[in-house]
Amino acid sequence: MNQKMLGLVVDGTFSGGLTARLNPGTTTEQLRIGNFVVVEGQRNRYFSLISDIHLKATDPRLLADPPRDTSPFIAQTLVGTSTYATVEVRPMLMLEKVDESDVDAVLGERTGPEPVRTIPMHFAELREATELDFATVFGKEGGTNFAMGTPLAMDIPICLKLGRFVERSNGVFGQSGTGKSFLARLIISGVIKTKVAVNLIFDMHDEYSFDKQTEDGHWVKGLRQIFGSKVLIYSLDEEMGRRTGRNVDVTLKIGLNQIEEADIVLLSEELNLRQTAEATIGLLRDAFRGKWLLELLKMTPEDLGDFCQRSGAHPASMAALQRNLKRLQRQEYVVDEASFSALDDMVEALDRGKHVILQFGRHNTVLDYVLVSNLVTRRVRQRYEEKMRRYEETKEVADEPRPLMITIEEAHKFLNPAVARQTTFGTIAREMRKYNVTLLVIDQRPSGIDAEVMSQLGTRVSGKLTEERDIEAVLTGVSNRSALRGALASLDTRQQILIMGHAVPMPIMMRTRQYDESFYRAMGARVGITRDAETDIRDLFGDQ
Amino acid sequence: MRIGEIVETMSTGFVAESFELNRPPPLGSLVVVRLPAEAGETSSGMDLYAVVTYGQTVGLDPSRRAVRRSTDTVFDQAIYQEHPELNRTLRTEFGATLVGFFADGQLRQHLPSQPPPLHFSVQSASPEEVQRFTDRLHYLRLLLAPYGQVSPLQVLAANVREVYQQRDYDRVWLDTAAREIATLLKNDHEALLTVLYAIDPGESYDRSGGGEPT
Repeated sequence: MNQKMLGLVVDGTFSGGLTARLNPGTTTEQLRIGNFVVVEGQRNRYFSLISDIHLKATDPRLLADPPRDTSPFIAQTLVGTSTYATVEVRPMLMLEKVDESDVDAVLGERTGPEPVRTIPMHFAELREATELDFATVFGKEGGTNFAMGTPLAMDIPICLKLGRFVERSNGVFGQSGTGKSFLARLIISGVIKTKVAVNLIFDMHDEYSFDKQTEDGHWVKGLRQIFGSKVLIYSLDEEMGRRTGRNVDVTLKIGLNQIEEADIVLLSEELNLRQTAEATIGLLRDAFRGKWLLELLKMTPEDLGDFCQRSGAHPASMAALQRNLKRLQRQEYVVDEASFSALDDMVEALDRGKHVILQFGRHNTVLDYVLVSNLVTRRVRQRYEEKMRRYEETKEVADEPRPLMITIEEAHKFLNPAVARQTTFGTIAREMRKYNVTLLVIDQRPSGIDAEVMSQLGTRVSGKLTEERDIEAVLTGVSNRSALRGALASLDTRQQILIMGHAVPMPIMMRTRQYDESFYRAMGARVGITRDAETDIRDLFGDQ
Repeated sequence: MRIGEIVETMSTGFVAESFELNRPPPLGSLVVVRLPAEAGETSSGMDLYAVVTYGQTVGLDPSRRAVRRSTDTVFDQAIYQEHPELNRTLRTEFGATLVGFFADGQLRQHLPSQPPPLHFSVQSASPEEVQRFTDRLHYLRLLLAPYGQVSPLQVLAANVREVYQQRDYDRVWLDTAAREIATLLKNDHEALLTVLYAIDPGESYDRSGGGEPT
């Protein structure tokens, strides 16, 4: 096997990691922080990450007087002898050694890589990881193992264990331009393909359903086009459905009766609400129960005055609240009264194994997004809670609700420290998979998300981040942060990501998979098949 | 080729009288003392290898310094023609430090258990022997031990230069030797540079070499 030796272990501690001296032929420029390397101990193989690189000299006098105009011969001789480099490597997993000749035995389940419990002795060899090492650690493609990409310098798949992935809430991060939505589309495709969960996607910028032009100019397919009728499109925008080739299955309306106090509080900033708004809403609720919003918006100035006298509310704040909340009424998709049946149908569709994308179309302001996502999610979660209770009573496998993964963008709007305790999303993120509902959080400023929520995220997928606070936030609750911190900052803007957490055995940098024709085919895309009305009906209403 | 006879011997090396006046073997060159089976400790005979560490020419009587012989017309080489007795009253000596031996089909690069016997012949090593002996570089460590008046660093450098030439300007060997020396002198940067400057093949070496791999 083609193994490139890098150096020998010369120092180290269990808690601090190992130090290896590089071989004279190895330059530090070949190595990257966060690279996956292997230390060959006598009994164990240690799968490790490079966490730091040092330049050293055997004689300090050399550093004070570096050879300036010497011949190439002398310079070349000094490199790797008098001057040398060491790397800090951090063992992440270890594997007991077996006979290498039997590839199947190596890959077989045996014991599999385990957490590190020892460190190797002096002079253990440090080498580049081979394809076999990657396969040993990250498993083979197939089943619920989904190939996310390849190592930076190799061409073998690195798999995400999607079965484990959907067990927790997860995050996709990266500064803008790092391809977060592609990454999310990749992961969601995997989840749809492997059927480990159903998806509800709040698609603020209409990126997930249909073709979209990438930044480098070519068109990529949306999930509807890849997975056909498995994906249902809901839209807030009536005009969306009229565009050719972009069938919308349901146009969603939101009733004022469905909007609750918590939704309004979440929108304080967007609606320009004052501190007193919450108290005023409380008074309104006391008086009108569920219909408070409707009643408030209907009030004439005289009604307002009456109400204030009766309830003791402050007239100016009442007037301001009404003025501000009128904005809600003006949204096209908001009607006075709507039943929850559309949302309940949606939950049933999810339960049948369909995936739902909710498009916002022209209504893509933060106000729309936060209002609708929170409202819909609250309903979905209630229904899931009921289903889960029923399942706990009957214990019938058929009653168990399908795991649901809810994808939200601009996650800091819902999960920032000020509101994370009040939003449904915050609840879902904290209670984990109690009701089989998890989140896929997409955000470019992870520092804006509540630390408690961040620490609950099972798997984090991150593109390049440069802001120190964002890097810190992504690494919340992760051990061995120094190596990963360097890795995060050193990623390329395009196509390079770092995955760490529950769904991968150890953190790993990779080049993401191409989102192209071969990917569509691998996902079983039914490209070019037209849909008929009957399948549409079946998809919408189930087999009746 | 026999080039001298051992006149003083010890565990670390020996002093030999050169057969040719004023022409001791080159500093740093590899010389060999061949011991037949019965003289050595092994049944198959033994070749002891040593590196020349100095050369000197003195009068037979060490207490008497040589006197001036040249005149306006007779000088340099002509003095020896004018005074043929000088070939009898002067002698050229060279010192060599033992760096290894070949016995029982094995090449060892450490001191032999016995010093070479007095009055045995010293021969220059053939290019093949140089090649075989210097394929390993552990002997360079022995050269760094202090001996005599010449700086070990200079002897070391002289040895590398000699061997480089005798190995037909084998640049790969030179690079390896240089790195080995850099390892040996890792704690003394100045000493290392002294040796490296002395063995740097530079441009001139390249041209004279011819056998240089490009």
